[in-house]
Amino acid sequence: MALPGLVLQPEAAHADDEVGFQYGHYQESQRQLYTVPNNANPIEAESLLGHARISLTDRIKFAFNYVQDTWSGATPVTTSPLVNRGNRSVRAATTTGRIVTVGASPYMTGQIKLDKNFTPLRYGDNGGPLIGPDERIVHVLSTASPETRKQGDFKLGYEWDESALDIGGGLSIENDYESHFGNVNTRWDFNQKLTTLNIGASYTDSATAAIIDHDASPYITNIALASLIDMPYADQIEQQGAMRILHGDRSDWSLNLGLSQVLTKASLFETSFGFSHSSGYLENPYKVTTIVFVDPKQTSSLLTGNVKAMLEQRPDERNQFNFSTRFVQHISPFDASLHVGYRYYHDDWDINAHTFDAEWVQPWGNTWTITPRIRYCSQTAANFYAPYLLSKQAYSTSVFDETTGQVTTTYFDKALLPANFSSDQRLSGYGALSGGVTVVKQLSKAISLEAGFEYYIHAGSLKLDGSGEGGYSDFNAFMANAELNVNLAALDQALPDAGHQHHHHSGHGHHAASPAGVMFDHMMSEPGAYMLGYRYMYSRQAGDMLHGENVVNDLAIVNNGCSKGAYRCRLTPTYMDMHMHMLDIMYAPTDWLNLMLMPQFMDMAMNLRQLEGAPEAPAGSHVHSGTGHATGGIGDTGLYALIKLFDMLVHHLHFTLGFSAPTGDVDIKLRRTHKQDEGYIHYGMQLGSGTWDFKPSLTYTGQVDAWLWGVQANATVRMEEHNDSGFAFGDIFQATWWGGYQLSRWLNTTLRASYTEQGAVSGQFYPVVGVVDNQFVSDVNPKAGPMDYPGSYGGWFWDLGLGLNVTIPDGQFAGNRFAVEWLQPVSTDVNGYQLDREGGLSATWYLAF
Amino acid sequence: MLKNPSLAGMLVFAYLCLSACQAVTPWQRGILAKPSMALEPHPYQSAFREHIYGSRESASGGSAAKGGGCGCY
Repeated sequence: MALPGLVLQPEAAHADDEVGFQYGHYQESQRQLYTVPNNANPIEAESLLGHARISLTDRIKFAFNYVQDTWSGATPVTTSPLVNRGNRSVRAATTTGRIVTVGASPYMTGQIKLDKNFTPLRYGDNGGPLIGPDERIVHVLSTASPETRKQGDFKLGYEWDESALDIGGGLSIENDYESHFGNVNTRWDFNQKLTTLNIGASYTDSATAAIIDHDASPYITNIALASLIDMPYADQIEQQGAMRILHGDRSDWSLNLGLSQVLTKASLFETSFGFSHSSGYLENPYKVTTIVFVDPKQTSSLLTGNVKAMLEQRPDERNQFNFSTRFVQHISPFDASLHVGYRYYHDDWDINAHTFDAEWVQPWGNTWTITPRIRYCSQTAANFYAPYLLSKQAYSTSVFDETTGQVTTTYFDKALLPANFSSDQRLSGYGALSGGVTVVKQLSKAISLEAGFEYYIHAGSLKLDGSGEGGYSDFNAFMANAELNVNLAALDQALPDAGHQHHHHSGHGHHAASPAGVMFDHMMSEPGAYMLGYRYMYSRQAGDMLHGENVVNDLAIVNNGCSKGAYRCRLTPTYMDMHMHMLDIMYAPTDWLNLMLMPQFMDMAMNLRQLEGAPEAPAGSHVHSGTGHATGGIGDTGLYALIKLFDMLVHHLHFTLGFSAPTGDVDIKLRRTHKQDEGYIHYGMQLGSGTWDFKPSLTYTGQVDAWLWGVQANATVRMEEHNDSGFAFGDIFQATWWGGYQLSRWLNTTLRASYTEQGAVSGQFYPVVGVVDNQFVSDVNPKAGPMDYPGSYGGWFWDLGLGLNVTIPDGQFAGNRFAVEWLQPVSTDVNGYQLDREGGLSATWYLAF
Repeated sequence: MLKNPSLAGMLVFAYLCLSACQAVTPWQRGILAKPSMALEPHPYQSAFREHIYGSRESASGGSAAKGGGCGCY
């Protein structure tokens, strides 16, 4: 896939300073499994992007991007003959003894029968009679638990009159993969800027450390035979307890050369050539290739095939070339622009691809732009791609030596397998057709909202010559995104047709900044004013386990942390991290009322360990430990009204009426492992509350000379008894006091105390009926540790916060406010059994205009 | 690098453009300055889509995609 550093941005020359946020969602359709019901959720990904581009001076530009993706769902782990029943029904007996099919579970190995021509044969279920040859193949699907990737990258550029130089770099981190990258780009303008030449180079260094699926590892031949014969990748697999981790390193460098040319007053043209060279571990560590070993020396009329799975083996090098060209023509009668692009791609794995795309950018009125778009891409398969391999040799042969009485087993000859193989469908031949639309609404010269949608069809039959992969691999998908952009350079300008002119509310003069961790601290008093803010909050729990205020040992948790009698605890969390990204969009319709919309994006990670003295895991319980869980996605959305009660030179008092809408998921479940269904992931790992919440607060702030202070009381009251998953978080009450001192015109510091109390979870997860070892279990929700029990949530907390606020008083960034605050726990008294708190960080950026 | 035919072709094309393209004076560039005429009118939307194409197609590397990661799903 596209690696971070390989990508050279065609940089728009002299682009305005800009800040923006984007949310995107990708959702795939279910794959065809033919013989078993597919009830697994297909792959979906949620993506959050924040970006900023600012001019440090007239000539020095700085750009920064932060991207975060969370994905989960079922995806192909291999491809195999359908008769091997790779997706096997999960069947279970009901209480009345009836056998029901409830879903599918992946099997990578097995035995099949083939005829003399090596065509797989289908038999009836449960040893039924021969039905006939069946050459169909199918993806074997495995479900991935949610995983999150985070990336930060920057670009620093210097612009001369007719040229520019950018250097950039970044880091992409996920649990199993880490990339570092750097790049340099230059631009030269010629011919009165009618011609622009871009040259760039980049380098990426990446490391894989993939935990191989615990359920799958005994069935992967590379692992199963590693102790017996020399197997590929065996020396890259590290064993850590019950976990197997596959390590690999790769590096990529690339060169890009581009030329854009103004052709006429109304058309321009761009062409570019790119080359990249990759080396090292280029495989996908989670993909295995199915190999059917058939001993041709078999004498029976039907052949027996031994179905095995090996980690895919790609070449250690790859050279990719691409040539792309783009033409843009203005269509005067419509004031629209037509963009047409073509791209040719070739690599030395023999993949050739042609991509065509066209966009019609249609401005509509003064403030709308509607852009319909179509794209078609066709690629040939890699020369080592095969849905599965047929190897005409025995998987193993055992010889009994009568003199020694020993059995000697010899295994297949690796030299008879191809040097490289993969059944990753991205390397297959197919075509992809997609179409969509982007709508942009310009709210003012400075602020624009964008929304996009695209539907995507991937099919073997869509390949240019129609000869692509079979229909088993077809899928559809859609992607949708929404974006808010603020052009910082245009903040002072109103729309041409707007009736009034805004002027810059730089720093909101009289109002000093409150600590970053205090929300709703401040109102805008100028009717028509807008404020845009980004708020990041991080909190971490780690260290000792507490019961009330006291540290407890493992045995106390084992005996008392879970519901007594029925269960004793086996697991306990080692840490829990929560990251929240919030967007504050505030508008003042009048001087006494401000309205605020606050969408949120969250991600969380938790790690568990086995408790000392824990009992053996009973059947049907949460057995994993040592590895973590992660969740991420959209959280709850806040809607607030701030109402001014009192506003004088020194004192200010306002009331906030707010509601939190349950837009965050509360039904995230753990994946099926160890032949066991698992229910809802722990309460604290769900992304929202699931209930409509009432969130009132009362805020008083004051300021005399360089001193500032404030008090706030706020609450969160759940307005429903329980959410759709059966529970409600406890109500929250918080009181906080702060004081601050203005150190200079632009800098102040704050000290804050905060008291919070939160009730325990009420209700509990509805029972989830699941299948464990082929038996129905009435409730498979995890009950292995305190985090699975409603009583171990909430408590009484005291914190002290130290903050720094920067307000830019004048110059081109006037009106920007940055604040950061660390909140240090000073007293913690928890309900039930919970991890101690390590602290929290809040960081905010606000811009009023 | 001049042995590379694509590069040589591009240089020839550049030369032809420099010498033969219609001269567009700075005061004739009103249309070219319209947002719809930008080579990438919706850059962040494109980046999101390219990121998805990049994780689902193996021939997507090297275009104007943004972001990376393993895409191991």
